[in-house]
Order: sequence, then structure tokens, then C-alpha cells
Amino acid sequence: MAGAAVIWLALLGPVIALLTHLSGSTIASALTSPGALDPVVVSLESGLVTLGVLALICTPLAWMLARGRLPFPRVWETGVLLSLLLPPLVLGLLLIFFVGPYTPVGQVLTWLHQSATNTFLALVIAEVYESAPYYVLGAQAAFASVEPRLEEQAGLLGDRPRRVFRRVTLPLAAPGLAMALSIAWARAMGAFGAVIIIAYHPYGIPLEIYTTLQETGLASALPYALVLLVVALPLPLAAYIWSARAGRRRRG
Amino acid sequence: MLDADVEVDRREFTVRAALKVAPGERLALFGPSGAGKTTLLETIAGLVQPRRGLISVNGQVLTSTDPPVRAVPPWQRRVGLLRQNPGLFPHLSVRDNLCYAPSAPRSGTELSSLASELGIGDLLSAMPARLSGGQAHRVAIGRLLLARCDALLLDEPYTGLDVSLRRTLTGLVSTLVSERSMPAVLVTHELEDAQAFADRLAVLDHGELLQVGTPNEVVLRPASRRVAELIGYLGFVPVGDAQAGIHPERVVAGAQAARGLVLTGAITACRPAGAGWEADLRVGESAITCRLADKPLKSADEFVVTVLDPPYFGPDGLVLPDAPVAGAGHQGARSGL
Repeated sequence: MAGAAVIWLALLGPVIALLTHLSGSTIASALTSPGALDPVVVSLESGLVTLGVLALICTPLAWMLARGRLPFPRVWETGVLLSLLLPPLVLGLLLIFFVGPYTPVGQVLTWLHQSATNTFLALVIAEVYESAPYYVLGAQAAFASVEPRLEEQAGLLGDRPRRVFRRVTLPLAAPGLAMALSIAWARAMGAFGAVIIIAYHPYGIPLEIYTTLQETGLASALPYALVLLVVALPLPLAAYIWSARAGRRRRG
Repeated sequence: MLDADVEVDRREFTVRAALKVAPGERLALFGPSGAGKTTLLETIAGLVQPRRGLISVNGQVLTSTDPPVRAVPPWQRRVGLLRQNPGLFPHLSVRDNLCYAPSAPRSGTELSSLASELGIGDLLSAMPARLSGGQAHRVAIGRLLLARCDALLLDEPYTGLDVSLRRTLTGLVSTLVSERSMPAVLVTHELEDAQAFADRLAVLDHGELLQVGTPNEVVLRPASRRVAELIGYLGFVPVGDAQAGIHPERVVAGAQAARGLVLTGAITACRPAGAGWEADLRVGESAITCRLADKPLKSADEFVVTVLDPPYFGPDGLVLPDAPVAGAGHQGARSGL
């Protein structure tokens, strides 16, 4: 118990430091200046879009990885791990080669009157790339925890595969998927390395902290760190509470 | 009527079997582990594709490798499969598990009467995690019956449950499938489970169907020495060119020539077994084991037993229609028939 408390407090060290270095007046002055809350809105919007994209395109991939539906599964998994291992800054640099204006993808985007540099789209792309491997690996583990025999039984009882997925696989994997989405959300909200390279504008909270630090110093940058924690927390917290409830319900 | 005639490739061998199970009939598929029993059930359920074969239930073709080729997917087969793990959905209550199948009634008398028949009437709102092993099996059986399956396949469902519970569940399933005139197949490697359940017993070994008959036929007249070994015949004593199969439970102490084969041998070991005794006997070159009501004298060098109406196997290993003529064979053996 005491040991756990020490480790817990050590982990919370930076947060405690943050709280002790903030005063009500600095928070108020930092957050009441005109346009001060725009980065919050940008971060929340891009984070939510990122989660939507991940849920839509990475969930099926995670399911196929978990169920061994892909040939040479180690190759696929290594691919996911490679994208996990790329440092975010390097990822941003490489994204310029991949979606920048002079690349085939960039030209398609230009044709669609879009751009993946310094736009909301660029921000979402950076956040998706920074968080996707975490979500894929988490969701894969969530699906792998669902007993294949249960899916088989649902099929034998008359459910088509899609219905089995909706009635058995998804509800059973849901707590794990929620945790994976929480981690992806945390990554997206805090995304900085790739963002600063390809999406310097519009500012989300991490870039706002960075630029404020550069321009006016630490005192006025820190309140944004608190804001980041406050706005990012409810979603993973809700996922935790919901997962625990689902577990309790299952245990009767 | 469940009709299956299939060849299924496995890594080590090919499973070849032809089975017909009439409505309401209960067939037990008996054999050692790895004989291909589960593969056969999975093929009938549509989970495994046979290399060649025809499977039909109530005249409706589910699998055919000959034109017109057909492979009805598992979810359209209406074939229920119950495995050792009852496979209840942990996120659904007992009621929702029972009513899981799209074709199952959501409420009404059928659900409540079946639930009370299964003894789970007061568990409908419980979650599966709260159930005991036996209760979970009852729910799983109820779920298959409410899904209105046309055939029921049971793949060693009671392994790990205690004997009395196994008997109760076996009796329950027997009654329920008879009432509904469903063909049912039980896969087991426990002979007693097979006997308790089945009208007919099929013996499968290494992918080959060795014998199909009533449980009594198979147990008392195994078609071959291999079947006899699988059924529990522990010793073989030469009688002329033939071998008499000795089942430990078909042996009585003393000479009763009119009832079977009288053997004389020396007791090599003796131990308590069940409510009686189990003794190892050396009869000439052969070793046999017998179950006896009374403890034999361990020192007896000339212990006489009668093997009740044993099956005899010819040099080819197949059962002989009649007992061989006495005298020509073993010094210790005298045919009493």
C-alpha cells in the first residue's frame, strides 16, 4: 500500500509540480485573453475526428490481426510496430515526403482543393499517425481476448458473421476497445512532434504551450498544460468507469 | 434423419465415416483421443470442409462435394453443437443466452416450461459467471433446443463434471431429444457415457469407423480385436488358432463351463477395485485382469475363473461367429461352449 502510494506520487510528480507553479491569477490572465480558448477547440475537434478515423479504419485491421485472417501475420504486426517505433518528429518529417504538396498524395489533395500542410486536415493526419499504432495494438489485444468458440457458437445458433460481430465480438471486446481509444485519445491530444512539422497552424493546445513558452515564457504557458489535462481527462476517465461497470455486470 | 458420408483430410490421416441417425435416435461416437470424432462433428456442423462427402439433415442437403456442389454455411444449417465449454455469452443473462438464436422465442410458455424442465427456471436473470458447471450446461442445452435445431451434436460435453451430474445431464438430454424427435450424436471417449446415452454405438479409431451397433452388441461382440481393446478388453488368451477376448468385468470365480471359457492361472497381483477386487492372472503366456466380488487368495497358483461367453478373434483379428473347437490350444484354456 505504502509502496504503491510512493510510486503513484512519483508518477504524478510532474502534475504536482504543475499545480504548485500555477496561481489563480496567472490562469485567469492566460485564459481570458482574446482567442485564448481557440486551441482548446482545435484540439478537441481534431482529437475527436482522429478517434472517429481510427475507429472506422483501424478497428477492422485490428480484428483481422487478432483473428489471424491475414497471410504472414508477423509481417503485418511488424509493420504496425515500425510505425509505433518512429519518433514523432521523424514521423512528421517523413509525412512531408508522403503527403506534402509535391507528392502524389499531395497532388490528389490539391486537386480536391485540400492541403496537408498547416491545415486542420494536416493536424488530423499528424494525430492519426501518432496515435494509430497504439490503437491498433490495443484493439488487437481486445479482440484477441474474445473466445473464438463464442463466435463459432453464435454462428451455429443462426447468426451471420456480421451479426456475430455486432452481438458477440464487439460487446465482449468493447471494454478493451474503449481503453485502446483512451490511449489513442491521450496520444492525439498530446501530439506534438509530427504536428509541429506538418501542422504548425492551426494551433492545438500542445503547440499553444510551445509558442507561448517561446514568446512570453513559462508562466503564461503552464496554464495551457492544466487546460490540456482538464479537457483530455473526461473521455478516458469515462472509458475506465464504463469498462469497470461492464466487468462487474458480467460477474453478475 | 441425419445422414453423413464423408472423407475429411486431417494432417495425419483421413477420417472416413458413413453415419445415419434417425429422428429421435441417439448415436454415440466412441473412440480414443485423436481418432477424428470431433472432426466428424465439426464437418457435420459445417465448420470443417470435407474432401468428399454428402451430408443431409431431414432430406435437406447441407454439404455435397458432388454436383450440384453445396456447402451450406454453419449459420444456416440448424445443427446444434455443444462442446465441453458450454460457450455461454458472458455479457448476456441466462434468459438472453437461452433466447440468443434469431429463431428462438423471446418469452412465453416454451421458454418457461423448458427452463423449468432443465431446472434453471429461477436463474433466468443471472449472469453466466454466477452459474455452476452443471447449470451452465443446462443453459447451453436449453439454448440449442430453443434455437429449434434439426440435429444435436454433443462433443464430449460433460468432461470434467462429476459422474452423478454427468448421468443426470445425459438422462435429461436423452429425454429432450426423444421428445423432439431430433437425431443426436454424442462424441465421447468414456464408454459408460456412451452406453448411458446411446441407442447405437459407433467406434471410430484413426479416422476409420470400425463398428456400429447397439451398445450391447459392440461391448459383448466387438467386431475386431482392435474394437475389443478400445472397449476395455484387457487380455487375450489363445484358444486354438483363435484368441478369446477377456473383459475384466465378464469374469467370475470358479468353473462354470456352461457359461463360457474356463481358465486356470496363477494370481500375480490383487487390489481393491470399486466394491470388489481386481486381480491379475497369468494364464500360460497370457496376462489377464479380472474383477471379482470376493478377494481371491493371493497365494493361489491354481485359481480357476470362467470368462462369460467371450468373443473369439481369428488370426486376421476379426471376430469369429462361433467359439473355436476346444482342445487344440492353450493348456490352461478350455472352451466351455
